[in-house]
Amino acid sequence: MPTISINRKDFEQLLGQPTTTEELDVLLALVKGEVKDRHAETGELRVELQDGNRPDLWSCEGIARQLRIKLKGGASAYRFFKPSTHPKHRVDVAPGMERVRPFIAACTAVGYPVTEEGLVQLIQTLEKLAELFGRKRRTVSIGLYRLPQIVFPVTYTLAKPEEARFTPLGFEEPLSLAEILARHPKGMEYGAILAGHERLPLLRDKDGRILSLPPIINSREVGEVQVGDRELFVEVTGTDLRMVILTLNILAVNLADRGATIGAVEVQYPYATDLGEILHTPLDFGKPRSIPIKTIEAALGQTLGAKAIRLALTGYGYEARASRDKVSVKLPPYRNDVMHDADVVEDVAISSGYSQFAPVMPSAFTVGGLSRLEELSDRIRELMVGYGYQEMISNIMASRQELVSRMRLTGTEWDRIVEVDNPVSQTFSCLRQWIIPCLLRVEAASARAFYPHRIFEVGEVEIPDPAHDTGSRTVLSLGALLAHASASFSEIQSCLDLLFFYLECPYTLEPINHPSFLEGRAGRVVSEGRSLGLIGELHPEVLELWQVGMPSVVFELEVDRLAEWK
Amino acid sequence: MADTASIIDSLHPLEIKVLAALGRQLAGPSPSSLQEEQLAKAAELEASQLSMAVEWLLTKSLIRVETEKVVPIVSLTKVGELYFEKYSPAERIISALRQAAQADKRLTIQDIQAREGIEPADMSGAIGSLKKEGSIRIAPGGGVEATGTPSRLAESLRAILQQLRGSPRELQAFAEPMRHVIQQHAVKRGNPHEPFRIDDRVERWYALTPDGEQVARLIAQQEVGQEVSQLTPELLKDGAWRGKRFRKYTISLRPPRVAAGKRHPYREFLDMVKRKLVSLGFQEMRGPLVESEFWNMDALYMPQFHPARAIHDVYFVKEPTHARAIAEPYLSNVAAAHRNGAGTGSTGWGYEYDLHRARRLVLRSQGTAVSARTLASGPQVPGKYFSIARCFRYDQVDATHATDFFQVEGIMLGPDITFRTLLGLLDLFAREVAQARDLRFTPAYFPFTEPSVELHVRHPRLGWMELGGAGLFRPEVTQPLGVDVPVIAWGLGLDRMAMVALGIQDIRDLFTADLELVRTTRGRF
Repeated sequence: MPTISINRKDFEQLLGQPTTTEELDVLLALVKGEVKDRHAETGELRVELQDGNRPDLWSCEGIARQLRIKLKGGASAYRFFKPSTHPKHRVDVAPGMERVRPFIAACTAVGYPVTEEGLVQLIQTLEKLAELFGRKRRTVSIGLYRLPQIVFPVTYTLAKPEEARFTPLGFEEPLSLAEILARHPKGMEYGAILAGHERLPLLRDKDGRILSLPPIINSREVGEVQVGDRELFVEVTGTDLRMVILTLNILAVNLADRGATIGAVEVQYPYATDLGEILHTPLDFGKPRSIPIKTIEAALGQTLGAKAIRLALTGYGYEARASRDKVSVKLPPYRNDVMHDADVVEDVAISSGYSQFAPVMPSAFTVGGLSRLEELSDRIRELMVGYGYQEMISNIMASRQELVSRMRLTGTEWDRIVEVDNPVSQTFSCLRQWIIPCLLRVEAASARAFYPHRIFEVGEVEIPDPAHDTGSRTVLSLGALLAHASASFSEIQSCLDLLFFYLECPYTLEPINHPSFLEGRAGRVVSEGRSLGLIGELHPEVLELWQVGMPSVVFELEVDRLAEWK
Repeated sequence: MADTASIIDSLHPLEIKVLAALGRQLAGPSPSSLQEEQLAKAAELEASQLSMAVEWLLTKSLIRVETEKVVPIVSLTKVGELYFEKYSPAERIISALRQAAQADKRLTIQDIQAREGIEPADMSGAIGSLKKEGSIRIAPGGGVEATGTPSRLAESLRAILQQLRGSPRELQAFAEPMRHVIQQHAVKRGNPHEPFRIDDRVERWYALTPDGEQVARLIAQQEVGQEVSQLTPELLKDGAWRGKRFRKYTISLRPPRVAAGKRHPYREFLDMVKRKLVSLGFQEMRGPLVESEFWNMDALYMPQFHPARAIHDVYFVKEPTHARAIAEPYLSNVAAAHRNGAGTGSTGWGYEYDLHRARRLVLRSQGTAVSARTLASGPQVPGKYFSIARCFRYDQVDATHATDFFQVEGIMLGPDITFRTLLGLLDLFAREVAQARDLRFTPAYFPFTEPSVELHVRHPRLGWMELGGAGLFRPEVTQPLGVDVPVIAWGLGLDRMAMVALGIQDIRDLFTADLELVRTTRGRF
């Protein structure tokens, strides 16, 4: 789902070997990735990553890791997930956080001097994780700091908006929390996340130095990481514990892949969490899952055997142990995207390569066919073409002006239409309730096309209907328009009449006063007491409003109702 | 000279009429040449038709100009027309003097000039002529008096004006005294303010050349002049067509355009796709344009917090905002699947599912919504379904984004379906729908399928392109809707193929309002 930018050289260093462009294109299938853009000079690649559930892949490090595992046939363990010693650093969570932003996870990364490309990647990763995975920082947000500036333990606490002040990134002078929310660009962008809270989250070190206002902005003093920094402090806060920890795990392995030594941080909660009150993060909270070999083979339609399945999974980063009929699998700590056995099945297929599976033609016998409505629609279209009418297709979305006011329907019983709450533009803000305005749009745009104009469309319209569950119903409608210097009611009625003759449907016309038509030249098409549509000569004012300079006659029929009749 | 018969075949009907008319002169006692006007009359042609035909025949050397005469022609100038309507200065002076005399008044030249608004130059000319004729005299003290002697000049002018009123005439048609008056009062250099103009007109008399005579004789013999251009029911009825000559057409000319009744080219393409799918055993399914979020997304196991469900991705309906109800047991089943997997073998998304949000109305954003409804409606097993569904996406409209567009989507259900059947189905689509021989499968991601595949084919004109996406529906999708067999969900991205087939570059042109464009677009399927 995200598109990220990576540097070819940086990527190959992380991968541990050079690749050709062709090799890379093939390998990227492993991460559901595709190169969208290449800059040969800078070595920059824009890679689109499809999988919305694999945030660990949304970075150069992540892509390189997944491919490296494949090339090496297995993953190397990250030892910091099983710390032997007690963490050196601690974060204390203050009471009350559970009501605002309950969870935090943190770690340190030491010994990797941040390079220029490394910093670019780090910032990109932070953005993608917080925006997409963290739902625009609501669920997860991330802070990165210079470790030497911090005196532990750090407290994750609450403060009144006016009381606490610090200099945020991008500013020269200290602002209160309230001012940050009101004036800082990030405050204005993300402030809504904290709306309704009297006190706001704050990270403070032992000396009272403010690290940041999560999830809004870091302090400039402590939280402005620069190229060359060797000691970092990373924290993730949020509303979903597993997502918070997973995000930290991803950042930890990314930094570790660049050579940093990751130090765990102890987080002390004054309240219970799913995983306990004292957590050492990064933390591998994944559980093994046992899947019958048969399940995997049945889903893939191919006998693979326990060994091949185990190799496929370890070659994709899983921890996997196979017995005769089962495989026990566990995801690496930077993934948490398996909800169902089907997810593991896909990883087996991806790791094996889709080309390893021979397509099997569908063999079950099924009868093909069209719906009644579509069959009738096709018959009508054929008849209309036979009468010399050119078929049109229009957008279903239109403007109220086109559908109502230009048809002289404002304030009448015909002015109800389905409208959109969040239109991109007024031009496309409503669903058409009839086809005629779309045909008039054609007329307005086609004065130079030689006459006569005989046009029609069979298409869906949305008719407001309070009796319906959704307040409107989708109807297939036929609209026809005839325009030339002496276009007349009887001429288009001949077409309607012939249509009904071939559809073997009796009908009558009942005079109707309809604002879109000339009085005395409009009728309701009625069949066995049911209204099927309208026919008439368009009112000169309608033509004027559309800037159409030719007399036009039209009819419109609900194909749905014709289908019911048949 | 080419042979006479073939010359006749190449003649235009207008030319034949002219030759026939001149041919008739040969036979008669009168001179063999005809003046233009006479010729037009004899050939029953309009002046413009005649001049065209004469031009052509001169070029072909079938006629020649026998005599050319210069004829002076008199016509009215603007001043002349004014004289006709408001009378000439001489008439006006006399009439003014009569009226003054009756009122016992005296008028000076200046009085008359002011009263009648006559130009000074016209005034002096007219006074001079009238005085000479003795129609007026100047009394001592400057007063002007009518003598009662009629002005011959004024009368002549009136007569000439009347004769020229309708059309110009030859100068020779007037009697000598009149001719003199005309010449006196014709526009000359230095005196543009006159009622008449004398122009020289060249009049031509045409006669047949020797070749022309031959052709004309043949025309007379064969009654070519009686040539029939249109076979009529009358000719058929009484057999009169026999012995008639039918005019030969110049068939190399472009015919006039007609407006044909025709399917829309894009619809033709979609009809082709529809036929293919039906022939492959797929049943058509349909669904509403306005959908609840439930059917559009929840039922497809897209969590309610999914980034593609936000205000900038789908269109929300303004009124009513929510559907009245979602059918049970589907609502409860899907809600449970989102919460905790609900016995599907899944962990679920693990969040508090919002029942109110489920009823929020949107414009259908994906054809898969139709598939979800089909799954819930007791589909056939084994079964194959497709829909060509109009979908709506929140996008700025440009050359590659339409506000609403068609999605070709469907499902296939069956107890024996596996990942390999999925590949088989896509293989079939590649060969049958896209006529592609080279294809490849790559891993893909859709929120509602696992495993998921993208189908790429080598298009003869576009090279490698993505033709579609597909996958096996997640059990979290099928089981809550009451389906217990594996289901393939597939979608084909055919718009690019359609645009190539129709030769257009801008996706908006698929829905164009330009009739001329639709009339002239041809599909190459």
